[in-house]
Amino acid sequence: MSRTTGDIPGSFRDPSGFLFYRDGSIYRQVNNTYKDNYDHFRNSGLYQALVDAELLIPHDEANISYARSDKAYKVIKPELLPFISYPYEWCFSQLKDAALTTLKIQKTSLDFGMSLKDCSAYNIQFSKGKPILIDTLSFEKYREGEPWIAYRQFCQHFLAPLALIGYRDVRLNQLFRVYLDGAPLDLASSLLPLRTYFSFSLLSHIHLHAKSQKFFADKAVDTRGRKMARLSFLGLVESLESTIRKITWQPKDTQWGDYYDQTNYSSDAFDHKKQVAAEFLDSINPESVWDLGSNVGIFSRIASGRAIPTISLDIDPAAVEKNYLECTREGESNILPLHIDLTNPSPSIGWENQERISLFERGNPDTVIALALVHHLAISNNVPLGKLADFFNNICNSLIIEFVPKNDSQVQRLLSTREDVFPDYTQHIFEREFSKYFTIEDSVEIRDSQRTMYLMGRRKAT
Amino acid sequence: MMKHSAILIRSLVLAALLALIFASETYAYIDPGTGSYIIQLVIAAFFGGLFVLKVSWKKIKTFFGNLFSTAKKN
Repeated sequence: MSRTTGDIPGSFRDPSGFLFYRDGSIYRQVNNTYKDNYDHFRNSGLYQALVDAELLIPHDEANISYARSDKAYKVIKPELLPFISYPYEWCFSQLKDAALTTLKIQKTSLDFGMSLKDCSAYNIQFSKGKPILIDTLSFEKYREGEPWIAYRQFCQHFLAPLALIGYRDVRLNQLFRVYLDGAPLDLASSLLPLRTYFSFSLLSHIHLHAKSQKFFADKAVDTRGRKMARLSFLGLVESLESTIRKITWQPKDTQWGDYYDQTNYSSDAFDHKKQVAAEFLDSINPESVWDLGSNVGIFSRIASGRAIPTISLDIDPAAVEKNYLECTREGESNILPLHIDLTNPSPSIGWENQERISLFERGNPDTVIALALVHHLAISNNVPLGKLADFFNNICNSLIIEFVPKNDSQVQRLLSTREDVFPDYTQHIFEREFSKYFTIEDSVEIRDSQRTMYLMGRRKAT
Repeated sequence: MMKHSAILIRSLVLAALLALIFASETYAYIDPGTGSYIIQLVIAAFFGGLFVLKVSWKKIKTFFGNLFSTAKKN
């Protein structure tokens, strides 16, 4: 379902250039207006320094005949990323690492006489487990005395959301889904607790910043010509960096963070599940895997450990946080944890509803792993099994899926507070509905449990 | 808290008016925002001062660190 032709809808704002598809690859046109900055960016050594430090996506210069308009100075071909994710799908530490990466890039840029002219969180992506900048045209020559153009955007895209998570509630990261240009600072200021007024950095970067925005909102002040010493510029960046480093978030009181401690499995059943998942993966050797309802990513790692690019999706921010921290601790490069609610996955948003693309339009996996998931979707969210089978048919070629029957204590727990209006939730109907779209290639009853794991391949003619 | 905010806002306005004395042109495709621009000028001066202190302190520590390690070696 992913798009492969035409201009890329999210890259129209900056007149320096834009992204487009050609023959299944992504190219970026660099416009003549950006010539001086682009040349300085390449010739000063900044490009190479950032690529060497794995802070910027590498690119090759492509044939100028690929240009989409006569404004082109160059056409470049950036390295292709397997998946684009958005800040409202990141956990706290992913957003924090993205923020620190942005500031590191800004500091490096200043060393080479350049500065970031924008600071959108959407310009950072996770590549091989690390945050990198993907917008090659984000740099402009630094002019002595000039303030940081992107300061407001940095505060809205990084500092305010991080402070809101750290000091108020992790769910406030979802403000990104409503406010495309980051958390409005007046809103952040009103939501943050009183104690943040006693942090001089937060007082100035968020609270006074918000008040200043409000004060000057209806005043025609000529903002040209303000001077800011280079040392002040560096001090501002240092201050943002140390403020962000100090913001922490400790997962607590969330749904799944300690799921594996509360489960009804015996360790024997759990080991058997891992063994079966590994055998199924080895038998199909998929090109890519999405582990839906991955919790902290134990089963995702069975795939990523086999060098299969794996996306690990879960509804619980604490589980995603734990998953990501393990990725960074172990230096894992094949796994991307993301915070996704499958009952309300990321929609298409922004200009013409195309600027940020819906989850399933951004890519589909070869194989889906869906363990201990079906009962949550079918019972907690009332999705009929037929609709679930249709959903999986639309997103993957093969499926490693677990059926948890009604007599399992986890399903009983879900039914304990509500009426059982699910007469069709049976293993027989599950198999019948999924067989409409998939061939059941293997099934294994999990030892010491009531559960069954299936390997299914999508029928070709659907 | 409110009193302090009022004083700080008055300082911001003063800083803004003073800053109008200077003139050179900037180009940006994103709106830096007038209020964001002005608060930045005001607070950056303070953070710049802190930055200078921090760098100087590091230099002083390194200088004495080297001095003592040289003395120890001798």
